[in-house]
Amino acid sequence: MKVFKKLGWFFKRERKNYIAGIIMLILVALMELVPPQVIGWVIDGIRQETLTGGRLGQFIILLIVVAVLTYIFRYFWRIMIFGASYRLGKILRSSLYNKYSQMSPSFYQKKRTGDLMAHATNDIQAVQATAGAGILTIADSLITGGAVLVTMAVTISPKLTLMAMIPLPFMVILTSYYGTLLNRGFKKAQAAFSMLNDKTQESISGIKVTKTFGYESHDQEDFRKLSDDVVDKNLKVSKIDALFDPTIMTVIGASYFISIFFGARMVLDDAITVGQLVTFTTYLGMMVWPLLALGMFFNLIQRGSASYARIEKIMETKNDIGEEYLIEDQPEGDIHFNIGAFNFPGEDSGGVRDVRFTIERGATVGIVGRTGSGKSALLRLLLREFDTVNPEDIVYGSHPLRDYNISNLRAQFGYVPQDHFLFSTTIRNNIAFSNPEMDDAQIHEAARLSQIHDDIEAFAHGYETVVGERGVSLSGGQKQRISIARALILDPEVLILDDSLSAVDAETEERILESLQSNRRGKTNIITAHRMSAVSHADLIIVMDAGTIMEMGTHDTLMAEQGWYHDTYNAQALRESLKSSLEDMAEGRRN
Amino acid sequence: MENDTLNLTFNDQKDVLIRLMKYTLPFKGVLTLGFLMLAVSTAAGVATPYLVMIFIDDYLTPGVFPEQDIMWLIVLFAIVQILGAVTTYMNIYLFQYLAFKVIQQLRIDAFEKIGRLGMRYFDKVPGGSVVSRITNDTEAIVDMFIGVLATFLMAIFMVISSFVMMFILDIKLALFALLFMPVIAAILAVYRRYSANFFSHARQLLSEMNAKLAESIEGMKIIQVFNQERRLQEEFNTINETHYKYNMKNVKLDGLLLRPAISMIYVLAIAVILGYFGLLSFESTVTAGVVFAFLQYMERFFEPINQVSQNLNIFQQALVSASRVFTLMDDERLEPVQDKDEEAEITDGHIEFKDVTFSYDGEVDVLKHITFTARPGETVALVGHTGSGKSSIINLFMRFYEFNQGDITIDGHSIKKMPKGELKQKVGLVLQDPFIFYGTIASNIRLYHPDMTFEAVKAAGEFVYAEKFINNLPGGYQHRVIEKGSAFSSGQRQLIAFARTMAIDPKILILDEATANIDSETEEQIQHSLEKMRRGRTTLAIAHRLSTIQDADQILVLNRGEIVERGTHDTLIREGGIYHKMYQLQNGQQ
Repeated sequence: MKVFKKLGWFFKRERKNYIAGIIMLILVALMELVPPQVIGWVIDGIRQETLTGGRLGQFIILLIVVAVLTYIFRYFWRIMIFGASYRLGKILRSSLYNKYSQMSPSFYQKKRTGDLMAHATNDIQAVQATAGAGILTIADSLITGGAVLVTMAVTISPKLTLMAMIPLPFMVILTSYYGTLLNRGFKKAQAAFSMLNDKTQESISGIKVTKTFGYESHDQEDFRKLSDDVVDKNLKVSKIDALFDPTIMTVIGASYFISIFFGARMVLDDAITVGQLVTFTTYLGMMVWPLLALGMFFNLIQRGSASYARIEKIMETKNDIGEEYLIEDQPEGDIHFNIGAFNFPGEDSGGVRDVRFTIERGATVGIVGRTGSGKSALLRLLLREFDTVNPEDIVYGSHPLRDYNISNLRAQFGYVPQDHFLFSTTIRNNIAFSNPEMDDAQIHEAARLSQIHDDIEAFAHGYETVVGERGVSLSGGQKQRISIARALILDPEVLILDDSLSAVDAETEERILESLQSNRRGKTNIITAHRMSAVSHADLIIVMDAGTIMEMGTHDTLMAEQGWYHDTYNAQALRESLKSSLEDMAEGRRN
Repeated sequence: MENDTLNLTFNDQKDVLIRLMKYTLPFKGVLTLGFLMLAVSTAAGVATPYLVMIFIDDYLTPGVFPEQDIMWLIVLFAIVQILGAVTTYMNIYLFQYLAFKVIQQLRIDAFEKIGRLGMRYFDKVPGGSVVSRITNDTEAIVDMFIGVLATFLMAIFMVISSFVMMFILDIKLALFALLFMPVIAAILAVYRRYSANFFSHARQLLSEMNAKLAESIEGMKIIQVFNQERRLQEEFNTINETHYKYNMKNVKLDGLLLRPAISMIYVLAIAVILGYFGLLSFESTVTAGVVFAFLQYMERFFEPINQVSQNLNIFQQALVSASRVFTLMDDERLEPVQDKDEEAEITDGHIEFKDVTFSYDGEVDVLKHITFTARPGETVALVGHTGSGKSSIINLFMRFYEFNQGDITIDGHSIKKMPKGELKQKVGLVLQDPFIFYGTIASNIRLYHPDMTFEAVKAAGEFVYAEKFINNLPGGYQHRVIEKGSAFSSGQRQLIAFARTMAIDPKILILDEATANIDSETEEQIQHSLEKMRRGRTTLAIAHRLSTIQDADQILVLNRGEIVERGTHDTLIREGGIYHKMYQLQNGQQ
């Protein structure tokens, strides 16, 4: 019930619709009382030969009026109550989405995508059902159930009503007992199904091993056993599930029997008429749904409140990046790193320590090092995915990074991530991601700068080619270059390439770097890379190792030092030369 | 995202349904019994109002209650109730039983198909979608069997039986009532027409919205860095709004044409019945019991219509699911078929590649005129860059793909003619990524081998020097593997894979970059194991680290599908070609 209180804001907002809807429900309940009465009147009229043509006409007209009115009321309460519940779904979905888009990456590290999706799908569905079917079931069972019960007692006989009701609680008790059994059985069936699912998944992932050993038929045998289990568990559920209808039938049958048996005596005693007895039994049939609805109601709000609690928890999660800011200005100038120590939240090590250097405005800075050396950590701090311990650890221009409005800060950056994530839309929209209104000339220019224009033009649909699972599959290098174009089109103050050239070949890399040099004069570039060639032209090269700076300088000074940079550079150069000689050879054979 | 709004034409739907129905044929007995139960329960259902009618007209109205007659009526009433309850139970259960059995067969058939499909299929179709064909799609068909077909059948029985009773009671009025049929049919037809459209729209929008949400969660970093939160929120809200509108259309349509409409017609039907009997009573006698019974039958006629109409959309969805399952079952990208020659046997392990040319897509040859020989007990190493064709050589040798040019023979027999069992028993492949199955260490070594003893499993573990690490685990060989062996180092996983291969004691050993992902800790151990494994076995090895194959009898250097250098380590180094360069590079790096 608490869920209704928690959803109070919504009910208040939709007050009119709910009140009107419930009034409609009441009217429907009242209307539904009429036909059984009319049936009784007509039967009595026929029996007692008091029925006249005029009276019959009135009855018929009454029924027609009732039919039409019920239809109208029914139609409107649906729109009001179900409509409101759909609006609730819409609102929750929207605010959840907004919440998601405000959360920092650490939130996404802690939560699994599947769970976040489940909140937006199953949980919202359950809450929506609470506000729709939940309200309906409780209102309907109270209103219809109450109205029918009172009418039976008042217009026919309180004693008969009481007696006829005796078996009905058994129906409620039994069905809710079945419900518990069913839930338990259903969970087991679900577990068996998910075993089968896991098995299938494993078989498909391990298909090569299975084929290698020729164990396909054994694998199938295993699958068959698990799928037998699924059937067994489901059939146990069916055994209970199939009890519902017969139980309801039997209980209602018993009620019928009681009302006819005792009703008949009352007819003989002239306490009631035959028509009233028929009316009574008709009403009895109308009691089934309200009683079942009551059971459904508790089920619905149980699920609804659990779901709403989960959604609330998400909505109340605080962002661990401070959202307050001190200055409205755009950040400008040099970027100073002066980090004493930083570890990612919840980790004791693996962060960065003693990293102190300055990125001068307009300079190109390369950051290299092994995987896990801390290159990306520096970029993540700069992008404020996480906040440093002290505000002064990173200073942009004359203010600490976190003093700026975060969207102003982000507006300075053009970021190309490692995983070259593209959206499943057209290539055009991916490049013009920052502003879909951009004109073709700008988009093509950005694509040219990142050496992807020719590739795009070669596709059948050019810039309108859709990428992603539903569209063409692009190579890693193509995706990277589109991500670069997406960042370049902003003409950002600071371009950040986070190992974004790893999948392009040396020649293309060279061309991209050249175009950056000639087109981004006066603008800052920060490039992290595994390949030394990507940073060899930089004004400053920083070699990271185990979270700290191992070497720092320009290509020439670092080569002279003969350290890690020197060795890696040479080894990579050798590999390149081998690769090109292989290519030459293949070329030569072809000619 | 999967295309779950796939539209089937009427004929497709019919074909899918017929094919699905054929699955019920093996369960003729259950089906017959189910129908029998349904018939009895329906009969019991119509008997109750009839008994009440007899009671009202023959005893209550005249006010005579001969004790014996009344007793009989009560007993009959009780029998009918109990019989009705029991047969209803049986009929519901039997139809559900049938549904689960049918789906099980469908699942097994689909799964068996997976075994027959070639790697060509698995290259193209993402694993997740194959899984959901076998599990989720089949589950949707269960819903249809139970929620639609069974309900539908019961509805048909109920409607027909109610009509039969109405005809028995009063032919003229029954004919009148029959007039409601086309009206209801028309309403449902109109409903179907619009609702199929609205429903599939709403569904599509919902899946679009979910796709967008999933994508946004995945790409949130980009969205935030590019300051595009607001724009994407707006985009999301636009779909959300449209989705809401379609939902409202659905609610309105349901309100106009479903329950409220059917209930209105029911009340109108009551008006017709009462009007008819009322008028009739002016001319002849009308009994209260008949009126009562007729009204009851009318109600029984309307009740199932409401149920069926609400489940129609499940039906459509299930047919789409079924058609996807059938598409999988009809896929023709099968694994190569062996043209079995029972005589063909692997005795020594003499391998010959004779001028093999192969292409995956029929356009670009990934192997060109590959010819080489591996004599019994020799090790032939394949080296080259990614895409040079070394893996394709192994793919063909393992019969993962069919080839049409050239031939590969083992001991003089073409591998195309070798019985499958012979190949699988005598050729052992170790993959780069050792797949660890759910289960224990022992079960991962034994796999499905029918008669491998625990001793043999242990011997295999010992043979590859894995027993030390295995014995250190809690439970030793019975240690349960969690999450695909993620608790083990890659080297330890590879040792398990070695043991798995050695347990079948193959004549020929294929190593597909078996040492590529090994951590330095276990590397030495792995080297020892490999040396021992290769002893006495013809070995084809793809090597990532050249140091691991220095002692190979023959090294083939591949480039773009061709063998460009061949010889031993020493001769190749002396030649100073590509191999030499590669070797230098690797040594320089370490």
